Amino acid sequence: MKTVVQAALVIVVLSAIGFLLGPWQTDIYRKLLLWIALALSYNFLFGVAGQVAFSHFTFYGIGAYAIVILVTQVGMPLPLAALAGVALCVVLALAVAIPATRLDGFYLALATLALAQLFIVFLNEGGAVTGGTGGLASYRLPDIAGVTLSGPRYTVVIVLLTTLTWGVISRLDRSWFGRACRAIRDNPQAAAAMGIDVARTRVIAFTLTSVLAGIAGMVYAFVDNTVNPPIFGLENAFLLLFMVIIGGSGSQFGAVIGATVLYLLPFVLAPLIGHHHALVFGVVMLAVILVQPRGLVGLVKSRPGAGQ
Amino acid sequence: MQDLIEILISATAGGCIYALLALAYLVVLRPTGVINFAVGDWGTVAAFGGFLALSEAALPWPVGMAVVVIAAAGLGWLTERIAVRPLVERGAPVLAPILALLGMLVIFREAVSLGFGPDPRPIPQPFGYGRIEWGLLAASYQSVFIIAVTSAVFVGAWYFFERTLAGRSFEAVALDRRAAALMGINLARVTSCAFAAGSALAALAALLLVPNTSAHYLMGIPLAIQGFTALVIGGVGRTEGALVGGLILALVEQLTMRYVPIAPGLVQGVPLLLLIVFLLVRPTGLLAARGGSA
Repeated sequence: MKTVVQAALVIVVLSAIGFLLGPWQTDIYRKLLLWIALALSYNFLFGVAGQVAFSHFTFYGIGAYAIVILVTQVGMPLPLAALAGVALCVVLALAVAIPATRLDGFYLALATLALAQLFIVFLNEGGAVTGGTGGLASYRLPDIAGVTLSGPRYTVVIVLLTTLTWGVISRLDRSWFGRACRAIRDNPQAAAAMGIDVARTRVIAFTLTSVLAGIAGMVYAFVDNTVNPPIFGLENAFLLLFMVIIGGSGSQFGAVIGATVLYLLPFVLAPLIGHHHALVFGVVMLAVILVQPRGLVGLVKSRPGAGQ
Repeated sequence: MQDLIEILISATAGGCIYALLALAYLVVLRPTGVINFAVGDWGTVAAFGGFLALSEAALPWPVGMAVVVIAAAGLGWLTERIAVRPLVERGAPVLAPILALLGMLVIFREAVSLGFGPDPRPIPQPFGYGRIEWGLLAASYQSVFIIAVTSAVFVGAWYFFERTLAGRSFEAVALDRRAAALMGINLARVTSCAFAAGSALAALAALLLVPNTSAHYLMGIPLAIQGFTALVIGGVGRTEGALVGGLILALVEQLTMRYVPIAPGLVQGVPLLLLIVFLLVRPTGLLAARGGSA
C-alpha cells in the first residue's frame, strides 16, 4: 500500500511539472524522461544481467517505426499496432539472443552491434515504407477513446511510461529472476550449479528489456511526430551504455543519475565545445571504469550489496 | 566466366582485409581473453595517419606505410597502458578492460572527427589504377597488392606463433596464464606486445583498404563487425582461422552483391546472418583448436 501511495505521489508530482513548463523545457523534460526509462531497462540488461548489448536503442527505434508504420500505412487501430510492435520486438530479440547467448564471451555484443548497424541500413533502404533517409513525419497520435493526447497530457503518458518502467524493473530486480540474473552475471558456472537455466534466463532478460525499450520507442514516436534514421544510430547506443556505466551499473538510482547527467551535460557544454561532447563522455566513461567502477552513485553512498 | 573470376579475385582481396582485422582481434584475444572492439577505430586512426603521410606529406608508399604501421604499434602499446593494464593490475573482471576499450573507441573516433571533420579524405593508390589481364585472370593492381601483403603477414604470423620461442610464449599464455608466468614468461610484456601487434595489423588492414574507399571517421564500426565476424566463422583457436573466415565472409558478401537482387546497402546484413548461422550451427568456427581448448 505504501509503495502504491509513493508511486502515485511521484506520478502526480512529475506530471504536475509537465503542466508548468514552456514548450522548449517540455521538449527537454519529455526526452529526459524517455532517456531515464531507457537507461532503467538497459541497466537491468547490462548492469544486473551483465549482458553487453548494443541493440537497446535499436529496439527503441523498432518500436517507434513499427507503431508509426502500422498505424499510418497499414491502418491498424492503436492498441493492435502496439501489440504487433511488441510481438515484432519479441521475435527479433529471440532471433538474436538465442544463438548469441548460448556461448560465454561477447558474441551478444557483436551480434547486437551488427543488428544495430543493419537496422540503420534497413531504414535508409526501406523506400516508402520507412521513408528512406528522411524518415517518416507529419503523422499524429490517433485519439484514444475520443481524447486527444497532446501538450502536457502527452507528457503525463511519458511520466507513466517512466514510472512503470521503474516499477517493473525494481520488481524484477528483487524477484528470483533478478537474483538469478545477478548470479549469472557474477559466475555463470556457479549459477548453473545452483540449478539456474543460464541460457534461458539470459534470453528472457534480453527479450524483456528489449520489449521495454520497444514500448518506450512507441511512446517516443509521438513526441516529435517524426522518426528518422540518424536518431537511432549507434551514437545513442553508446550514449546509453555510458549513462549506465557513469551513473553506476547495477543500480537503478545510478541509471537515473547517469541518464540525467549525460542528457543535460551537452546543453551546458555546447557553448564551450560545440558538438564534441561525445569525446568528453568517452573520457569520463574511461575515467569512471579506471577510478570508480561503481559510478556516480558509488561516490554518494556505499551500501553493501548494491552496485557491483 | 571472366566476370566470376574477377569477382573471386576482388572477394579474395576484400577477404584479406577482413582476415587482417580478424588477426588483429586474435593476437589480443588469445593471450589476454579481451575482445577489443576498438580494432576498427585503430584502423580509422591509421587511415588518417595514412592520409597525412601519403596524401599530405606525399611520402613514397613503402615509407609512409612503414611509418604509419610503426606509429600504430605505438598507439596500441599506449592503449594497453591507459585502458587495460591498470585494470588487470587491480584484478578487475575481464569485462572492465573490454568496456574501457569501448571508451577508447569513442575517444579515437571523436578525436579523428575533431581533427579532420566529417568529410572523407582520399588516399592515393600505391600502384595507380592499372589492371593485370592475363588470359581469363583479371584483377586491379590494388587487389594483387592486398593479397600479396596479407599472404606475407599470415606466413609471418604462422612462423612466429609456431616456430619461434616468443610466439610459443604467446600460446603458453593463451593456454594457462598462471602456469606461463611460473615458467618465467613476462605476462605484462606479452600483453603489451599483443596490443601493439593488434594495432599494427589493424593499421595495415586500413591502409590497404582506404585507397579504394577513402578515410572516414565512421569507418571503424563496420571494420570491427566484419573482422569479428570473420573470426567467429574461422574459429578463434588457430591463426589460419582468421584467414579462412575472412575469405568466406568476403566471398559470400560479394556473391550476394552480384547475384542477389537486393539493395546494395543491405549486403551489410550478410555478416549478421552469417554470424547467427555460425553461432547456431558451429559455434567453435570452422577450424577447431589443435590440442587443448582455449
